[in-house]
Amino acid sequence: MPRHRLIPLLAIVLCSLCLSGEAWAGRDKTYTRTFENYEIPDVTLINQDGVKVELRKLLLADQPVLVDFIYTTCTTICPVLSINFVNFQNTIHRESGKARLVSISIDPEFDTPKAMKAYLSRYHAKPGWDFLTGSREDISRVLKAFNVFTLNKMNHYPVILLKSPFDRRWVRVYGLIGTSELLVEYEKVRQ
Amino acid sequence: MRKMAEALKRTCSLCMLFVALSVIAILAMSSAVAAQVVKQTTVAGYSPEEALRLGERMYRDGILPSGEPMQAIVKGDIPMTGSEFTCANCHQRSGFGSLEGTVRTSPINGAQLYSPLSRFKGVPLSRRSVAVQEAELFRPAYTDETLARAMRTGQYPNGKQMSDTMPLYFLNDRDMAILVYYLKNLSTGNEPGVTDTTLRFATVVTEDAAKADREAMLAPLQFYIRNWRISRTMERSTRTTAFVQEGSFGDLRTMSLSVWELKGRAETWRGQLEEYYRREPVFALLGGITAGSWAPIQKFCDDHKVPAIFPITDHPVLSANGGYTFYLSRGLAQEAEAAARYLHTREDLPKDLSVVQVFRNDLSGTAFAKAFQETWTGLGHALPEDRALERNARLTERFWKTVHDKHKVVLLWLNADDFPDLATLAMANSMPETVVASYSLLGDRIYGLPEKQRASVYVTYPYALPQESKVYRTNIEAALRKNAIPITNLEIELKMYSLFSIVSGPISRMRTYVYRDYFIEMLEATPDMSMTPAVFPRLSFGTGQRYASKGCYVVQVSGGPQPELVKRSDWIIY
Repeated sequence: MPRHRLIPLLAIVLCSLCLSGEAWAGRDKTYTRTFENYEIPDVTLINQDGVKVELRKLLLADQPVLVDFIYTTCTTICPVLSINFVNFQNTIHRESGKARLVSISIDPEFDTPKAMKAYLSRYHAKPGWDFLTGSREDISRVLKAFNVFTLNKMNHYPVILLKSPFDRRWVRVYGLIGTSELLVEYEKVRQ
Repeated sequence: MRKMAEALKRTCSLCMLFVALSVIAILAMSSAVAAQVVKQTTVAGYSPEEALRLGERMYRDGILPSGEPMQAIVKGDIPMTGSEFTCANCHQRSGFGSLEGTVRTSPINGAQLYSPLSRFKGVPLSRRSVAVQEAELFRPAYTDETLARAMRTGQYPNGKQMSDTMPLYFLNDRDMAILVYYLKNLSTGNEPGVTDTTLRFATVVTEDAAKADREAMLAPLQFYIRNWRISRTMERSTRTTAFVQEGSFGDLRTMSLSVWELKGRAETWRGQLEEYYRREPVFALLGGITAGSWAPIQKFCDDHKVPAIFPITDHPVLSANGGYTFYLSRGLAQEAEAAARYLHTREDLPKDLSVVQVFRNDLSGTAFAKAFQETWTGLGHALPEDRALERNARLTERFWKTVHDKHKVVLLWLNADDFPDLATLAMANSMPETVVASYSLLGDRIYGLPEKQRASVYVTYPYALPQESKVYRTNIEAALRKNAIPITNLEIELKMYSLFSIVSGPISRMRTYVYRDYFIEMLEATPDMSMTPAVFPRLSFGTGQRYASKGCYVVQVSGGPQPELVKRSDWIIY
């Protein structure tokens, strides 16, 4: 077989290995954790109540912040991230902790304040969890600044960013995690 | 010699025996799989139909037969209920699963679950010999019992543990039996309009559509269907790889297109559609055109679960629920909503601004007036004054004077023939400060506005600006000419190209598993189309999303002999 014919064949075999559903699902990786420095862009976004929000001001407030990047019609990653956020809220409320949760839409074409409000309500979100959207240009700037930009929203990352008000650095958690793992990360950030 | 003959005979007999046994084994396996999907007489005390209905509600809505939400644990320690997310969220309505980023959700339709999966490819072993060693399998076929265990404990039939992204469900035996029965039957039947060799489509044309518009929709579509073929690369790869051996790709099909012409009043369309569908069932509707409302056709499609992709209509059904029809946009209502949001954000206008809407009392006029009113009052403003004109009512100077005396902003939801001569109005000293009109109604008449009046007139424009989409339009125009497709209405023909861009991928990939819900899910998973803005700046998709273009500009016409459109707003979405 000529060598050039092997290339697509190899590509397909590799793809099939990556995409083969249950085979992949069975080898779930643990999450990765890194420290990052991000320059938050100076943009004004809009929250689920239609209120304008200065992103820098919101994220650099004097309380711990957790950020994820989701969209309301997402199939797998966002529901798991969101159910974790609400469970986290329920847990830290019991422990009288305070943290601000911020979800930023990666589908600004569809995620209107009305759609975002309905989404938060579906997950029984408590006050302190905001869902933000904005113009496509502003959202792209934000996604690039936090290194989560993808051309196709379906290829987005399961990422949660955590930040303490006393540290310039962000903790980037890559991978779908449970609430106990999130709480561990949260406690590390608070210390 | 005789010994050799006998040895040969013995070998042949052995071969025959082996072949016969293999055939029997294969038949036994196929019948075993087939037997799994044969309907039982009762399921947990329910009729099979009722069990499927209840199972569907569990699978899609996360609601138990008792009416309570399903309960589960995900990621090891997160409690969740069916009201937050459901089986269908990840595995999709069809059960064919999803791929999001690096997270792949497995197919769980009946055929997949009740077949063994090969170790490396994760596809059902439907063609290969059944004499596959256990070690070669990723997992053996599920049984009802192992499937129930999997949903409770997250274990495959061979005891391996699944990813903990799969929730573990708390289900009693009766509810579990219903869900297992539903999964066993999920995406297992034959879809209408699909044969081994042909995929049948239809396009609906109503007789009120203008002849040029109808041709602009139909000619490119017929050309596309006639010339459709799977790309050579994909064809070669699917013929030569293990996918074929494992049976995950069926044979190539050709496509056919029927034209369903609807005549007479809209109330009679349903009967005509039923008759067409009875005579020749189709897999889906592509394109289509009507001057009226698409609602009766959407109702037919939803009742029969027939996907309908990108009909050419100004009057789509406006609904938050994703039915079986995909629209290019929300039509005229999208423009009226954008007008309301634009006026709301204009800082130079008073907060207690009073506006008047002038419109003909017909389908388009009332669509604009209703959508504007809803959005405007939703933004906290007083009701606009409505001046509905009957079909033959003349627009006199006196009428305009009475309209503008009270209002600074006048919305003229009128078409080109009705649009007033603004110069005359100005001379009569009755020119409003701000006039808002619609490109969909006025068309290129906006370029003919007297230069002095252009500063007062704002136009809702739901497309990419001509100067920004020129290159793409020119390319498609060239392709139309090259293929001898008459250009009778370029806007519509460009929209048809959007249709071809979105359906080609799913049709190519949908081979063995030709199911309507799967087709729809692949359309929903289409990446946003922003690089081919021949008509719209961006077409975007997602689960349950049914309006691909979601915004609208407000523009003005520049001065000079060769006027251009100038944006006066961002792409307004909310």
